[in-house]
Amino acid sequence: MLQLSALISEVLPIIFYLIFLKRNRGEGLWVIFLYCVLSLLTEPFYHMVKANIPQYFVYSSFTILEFTLFSFFFYSSLTERRFKYIPVIGAVLFYVVAISNFTKKSENPFDSLPASVEAILVISYCILLLYEQIRDPAIGLVYNNKKFWVIIAFFLYFSATLFLFIYTGALSEEQRSSYWPINNFFEMLKNILFCISFIMKKHYKNPYAVDSLES
Amino acid sequence: MILLEVTSPGNVSLVLFFGTIGMLALTIGLIVFIIFHQRKVIRYQLKLQRMEQDQQKLLLNASIRLQEEERQRIAADLHDDAGPLLATARLYLNENLVNLDKTTQLQSIYNAKQIIDDTIQLIRNISHSLMPPTLKNFGLESAVNDLFQKISGSGSMNASSRFHDYRERLQAENELIIFRVIQELVNNILKHSNASFIHLTQNTSGDKFFIRLHHDGRGITQNDFNKLNKSNVGLGLKNIQSRLKVLHGKIFFEKDMSQTYYKVTIELIKEEEDKLIEQD
Repeated sequence: MLQLSALISEVLPIIFYLIFLKRNRGEGLWVIFLYCVLSLLTEPFYHMVKANIPQYFVYSSFTILEFTLFSFFFYSSLTERRFKYIPVIGAVLFYVVAISNFTKKSENPFDSLPASVEAILVISYCILLLYEQIRDPAIGLVYNNKKFWVIIAFFLYFSATLFLFIYTGALSEEQRSSYWPINNFFEMLKNILFCISFIMKKHYKNPYAVDSLES
Repeated sequence: MILLEVTSPGNVSLVLFFGTIGMLALTIGLIVFIIFHQRKVIRYQLKLQRMEQDQQKLLLNASIRLQEEERQRIAADLHDDAGPLLATARLYLNENLVNLDKTTQLQSIYNAKQIIDDTIQLIRNISHSLMPPTLKNFGLESAVNDLFQKISGSGSMNASSRFHDYRERLQAENELIIFRVIQELVNNILKHSNASFIHLTQNTSGDKFFIRLHHDGRGITQNDFNKLNKSNVGLGLKNIQSRLKVLHGKIFFEKDMSQTYYKVTIELIKEEEDKLIEQD
């Protein structure tokens, strides 16, 4: 039931993004939209090709594409030049781990190592981006910013599933299915937070901007 | 993975459970901290804004009051001095129309002429005090030298000025602002300090333009200036501050190291001067 709800919740951000397309233009959220589309299509794609391609390859490819989109989102969102190097270095590190894992051909359908590295990197990026946002006086109340909700979505999702991703390889099938609802629940939460971001109005300027204090 | 190797199979579930709870608690804690910290910063910004607005209101009120006082003084000068003089001149000329005796007529005309001369001089003085022609025609250095010569000439104190580096004149509006500030400071010293000497120096240092006033009377320090600025009194000082704000200048009040005299330093940035010139 939870899995089905999580699957249905993946459609919501796509619908809301398209309905509120005007509000989301120019905000860099098209990457999140692409990610939601990718997320929605992965499962049906796997069912289409499972006879020819092992599950492991499909999910590993999904992880690599997912991280590429996340990295691009964070890279474009960071404004300070010295911080922009961090997603680049993180991406290099991730690709080394993911590609070496990809070529190992594990029997475990879930790519635990790349997913864990991805989770750690995304959590770090979220903290960095939040730090940048609270330092920017033009933003005002941080939760009035669309990207804040996207960052919170990533932050919550990957924090909740970090240990799940690390240990999923060591769990039995039965244990995995009993713990996987954590992933489903936080995936739903992530999609709801994406929807909030897409629905929010554009241009919440800081009403308390300090322009008048400069003399 | 080291974490997997270290954890025994039986404890995996436990670690997973507590790890997830721990990470969630940290994440939620961090988000809540960020939101509350931001609200605190914004409240502080609002407070600063309110203080700045109050200060600006105070300066504006002081400026308006000073303007009104100036107008009242000019009106009083014209009414009390120029008015009666012209009325007296009119009386002499009226007498001239009535009295046909030539000697008396000539005397009346002569008296009326004297009075009109005095009135012209009076109006000239009023006009010069409003806008000294020396400032407009010859610049800040000449106007300040003129002012100090008049003070010395009155015998009330020994006043001197020296411009060390004023080869290029500043823009007319800026010279007027600086002259008014100097005038106000000198007036304050004359009124309140009981000083026996006042000396003004001008020099430049790098991109900064300095004017320093020294006097040996009772002065104020920077603390006193800040207190007076925040209160409802100290109209002249508020006026000085608002004028210097236009030029992005600063003023410092201090007692000299030797504790024998007070010093007032006006600091302006020359680049700002150039920028203001370019803007105009």
